[in-house]
Amino acid sequence: MKVITAVERYTELKTKAQEKVNSLQDKPLVRIGTATCGLAAGALQVKETFEEEIKNKGLDVRIQEVGCMGHCYAEPLAIISKPGFPSFCYGKVDEGLAKLLVDSFLENDDPCYEYAMVALEPNDIFPTFTDFPRDAYEKKIILEHCGFIDPGDIEHYIAHEGYAALAKALEEMKPEEIISEMTASGLRGRGGAGFPVGKKWSLCKDTPDEVKYIICNADEGDPGAFMDRNVLESNPHQVIEGMLISAYTVGAEKGYIYIRNEYPLAIQRIETALEQAREIGLLGDSIFGSPFNFDLEIFEGSGAFVCGEESALVSSMEGKMGIPQARPPYMAVSGFRGRPTVLNNVKTFAYVPTIIRKGADYFKSVGTSDSSGTAVFTLVGKVANTGLVEVPMGTTLRQLIFDIGEGIPAEKEFKAVQIGGPSGGCLPETKLDIPIDFDSLAEAGAIMGSGGLVVLDEDDCMVAIARYFLEFTQQESCGKCTFCRLGTKHMLDILTRITQGKGEMADLEILQELAEDIKMGSLCNLGKTAPNPILTTLRYFRDEYEAHILEGRCPACMCKDLILYYIVPEKCSKLCNVCVGSCPVEAIYTREDGLKAIDQEKCVKCDNCLKTCPPEHDAVIKLSPPVLPED
Amino acid sequence: MGKKITLTIDDRQVTAFEGEKLLWVALENDIYIPHLCAIKEEERPSASCRLCFVEVEGFSHPVTACTQEVYAGMIVKTRSPRVDRLVKSAFELLLSDHRLECAKCPKNRSCELQKIAKERKLKLRLTRLKPLEKEYAIDESMGSFVFDPSRCVLCGRCVYVDHQEVEVGAIGFTHRGLQRKVTTFGGGLLADSPCTGCGRCVEVCPVGALFFTDKAG
Amino acid sequence: MTLLEGEREVILKHVKEILDDRGTSRENLIPVLQQVQDKLGYLPDLAMQKIAAGLDIPTVDVYGIATFYNQFRMNPPGDHQFKVCMGTACYMVGGNIAIESFERRLEIREGETTPDRKFSLERVACVGCCTMAPVVLVDEEVEGHVTPTRVDGILLAFETETEKEEGKNGEGIEEKEERRSDA
Ligand SMILES: Cc1cc2nc3c(=O)[nH]c(=O)nc-3n(C[C@H](O)[C@H](O)[C@H](O)COP(=O)(O)O)c2cc1C
Ligand code: SF4
Ligand code: SF4
Ligand code: FES
Repeated sequence: MKVITAVERYTELKTKAQEKVNSLQDKPLVRIGTATCGLAAGALQVKETFEEEIKNKGLDVRIQEVGCMGHCYAEPLAIISKPGFPSFCYGKVDEGLAKLLVDSFLENDDPCYEYAMVALEPNDIFPTFTDFPRDAYEKKIILEHCGFIDPGDIEHYIAHEGYAALAKALEEMKPEEIISEMTASGLRGRGGAGFPVGKKWSLCKDTPDEVKYIICNADEGDPGAFMDRNVLESNPHQVIEGMLISAYTVGAEKGYIYIRNEYPLAIQRIETALEQAREIGLLGDSIFGSPFNFDLEIFEGSGAFVCGEESALVSSMEGKMGIPQARPPYMAVSGFRGRPTVLNNVKTFAYVPTIIRKGADYFKSVGTSDSSGTAVFTLVGKVANTGLVEVPMGTTLRQLIFDIGEGIPAEKEFKAVQIGGPSGGCLPETKLDIPIDFDSLAEAGAIMGSGGLVVLDEDDCMVAIARYFLEFTQQESCGKCTFCRLGTKHMLDILTRITQGKGEMADLEILQELAEDIKMGSLCNLGKTAPNPILTTLRYFRDEYEAHILEGRCPACMCKDLILYYIVPEKCSKLCNVCVGSCPVEAIYTREDGLKAIDQEKCVKCDNCLKTCPPEHDAVIKLSPPVLPED
Repeated sequence: MGKKITLTIDDRQVTAFEGEKLLWVALENDIYIPHLCAIKEEERPSASCRLCFVEVEGFSHPVTACTQEVYAGMIVKTRSPRVDRLVKSAFELLLSDHRLECAKCPKNRSCELQKIAKERKLKLRLTRLKPLEKEYAIDESMGSFVFDPSRCVLCGRCVYVDHQEVEVGAIGFTHRGLQRKVTTFGGGLLADSPCTGCGRCVEVCPVGALFFTDKAG
Repeated sequence: MTLLEGEREVILKHVKEILDDRGTSRENLIPVLQQVQDKLGYLPDLAMQKIAAGLDIPTVDVYGIATFYNQFRMNPPGDHQFKVCMGTACYMVGGNIAIESFERRLEIREGETTPDRKFSLERVACVGCCTMAPVVLVDEEVEGHVTPTRVDGILLAFETETEKEEGKNGEGIEEKEERRSDA
């Protein structure tokens, strides 16, 4: 009897999937990005409008939901493919534009170039992504298909080489070979610490036990980071395939995806993906006809940042408090239920299929010698193009912020970039030319972290930013160990005093000392890294601390206790009343001479008047220190 | 238990069994290392009080003695400038969250905090930090003993004996972060909890958070 | 907290169903609590006691878990929930201003529910829509770019809605009020 191999089975699946995907090209196709960012911007209404208009006009057009392309600043996004045209992508689509597109492009043949953002295929008429400045820097490995394929249909993934790596691994590679491939690729964990994947897997593989587990860490708790969510929402199978390969390598039959319950859409998409994978036998018993069995379950986290820490995560899966444990033993030796467990980040697993399919050398060829591959960042804050970017390791921060992110909006001045979230640090202009990789960032006092990157401009107070991150870690500390539970609270109290203008210079000494002790003495990395925002701001922006303490002045006019709102008489138009109406506490009054003024006693510093004063007057300003100019 | 080995602690040769935790080996040999949270029977020490730091030759950072297993030829120093600084800092942090009224405390002179202060020549008052001053109600409902949470250092000894030794399940850790505390279900009185009044938790409390009333009188 | 009439039975029923479905291993504690809260809106003491009995663990351990995780609440939420995102991006462009505006208008602090149980206000960590900062979840719907004026707008919309309803079935509401003061 002829044995059907895994690769043969896979080829069959792929041929079918490709036929299906190709058949989609016979008629016009509208793809709408409905990841969380798209939905929040109104993608569902846009989709409904498309559907309605297409129905009203009796057109034969397919509509498909896809994930996120990473251009979040331009959501909602729609891609329209019509035979005879290159596919065009449109940004900031609203109901009006949707109607127009159905009318002009789908019904007639006018692609409305004035609204198109980019064309997807090379053509003679319209620029493609390769013509974007950011393309020169971007290199997509795990985001390659995000935003283009339907995450709700496994065949879309399969048609794009999905699960080929699994078939190859099962048929052609021994677990040892996979481990050497992972080691050779230099892949390091993307959950923050950058631990070599080959090493972790091999430790787990070599620990003898009948039962082992694979866990994907999708807890993504950093405020200001959403890469993992986007990967799961836009291409969940990639992660599942990575987990399957890992399970086969170490000999596990059961895996879990630990995901924040705040990510309902991602959970739903994974559920669908798991079902479809089970249906065609990619999960369950004898996968691809091999003796390998594996299945996956979702575990929903309950909203505690510390549960992103691996031992806390496992505790919470066991029905306990999410409290970190001292190491050793390591997860790979004794993890979930005391069994050897491979625990990796979403992105880490997402790289695996590519490495197996294209080889370690390919992966190694991207990035730097010690940090191979790409880095995925959420670029947010005061930057023109917010969204998701994937760049080779070694790209500089300057390129990322100014070339890809296209700089600071509103002609403001760049001040700092915060990398790595609450465990990371703030780097100033002078550090912008350091390459993004695990070690260079650590050297500068920041960390790679899980990839949140926040750009700060002149309006952001560095003391307030440090305080913000510390408040976060202080609230999220599990409370077990002395340094983190109490030390962060004392640091927070000191920072609060400084932002209120009640600080003393001696406080800076105490801050520095406490920060160093907490870093050295805490049990887990939450505590060990919590002082980083303070240490970096003290190092690079000490002058701002001093301004608060010595002059009672917040240079960025952000700290409420150190500012007041003031209407510049020379600028106020007298005739308009906008600010008066906007004030929620009726603090703004009309003076006898007709000019507006603020009753400082009543003012709650809500910023409303400053926002509403028409730009042609721009009469409301903030003053720090809070002293009224003499009339 | 592993095989017998020799190690050096503060220039003294001591013998122990491989795999034993350094803290207990030192204490058994009359070498003092400050500690509050360690429980010898506990398989995975909580390592939460962060007072038992020592230097081990070949390690880049001080390590907690309660989690560190001993091995043959290990060379340990219980004091170093780094260790002293960490212990001093952790100690002051704990004091900042502990109602400091030794004169009025029934555990005066038998308190572990006082012992640590004495051994390491630390001050029993705050030098850099301001007290956190949390308000907790004192629970006198049991009659024979009192629970005063404002003195609790969260070492977890009482919870351990309650759960693992007498297996009652009356008290436990609840809340997160700064709010972490030892309480009963819903924060109610001990008398309304499954507490049997056996008093084991009182016996293990290193400070004046749990104390017998006869001694208080 | 005293339970309203009929609440006891509802709690017992749901807890039993969920425990029957999930099984009695301690590992199920968090999923069970999540499901119970999904059904009841919060975790009443009674539910926690029954869960502890069902999983054969001390009640204080259930209470410990429920107070450890942000997701769980011990008090019933308001009919409408505002969750202000305090992720980095939102904070930087005025998340705290949005929260203060809600606090001022609703006369409650974050984490609280208005006395009429109509609105509750919470802060949440990053909801992942940083590009629309500051973001507020209004009954789980994302509202982007929330300025103090927008806060007023959001509340106004609810007020007009209630007024309409009151106009329609004013009696019904009075009855409900009465029952509540009985309990
Ligand atoms: C407080 C804290 C929070 C963490 N949060 C996450 C997280 O949200 N996602 C993640 O993948 N790793 C997180 N980590 C890192 C994990 O502990 C672990 O190192 C990682 O998941 C391992 O996967 P990797 O090797 O693929 O990076 C966190 C660590 C700490 C200390
Ligand atoms: S460092 Fe903080 S989060 Fe980590 S164990 Fe200690 S208290 Fe818990
Ligand atoms: S009451 Fe005493 S024994 Fe219990 S945790 Fe507090 S200090 Fe430790
Ligand atoms: S005794 Fe080691 S940390 Fe408490």
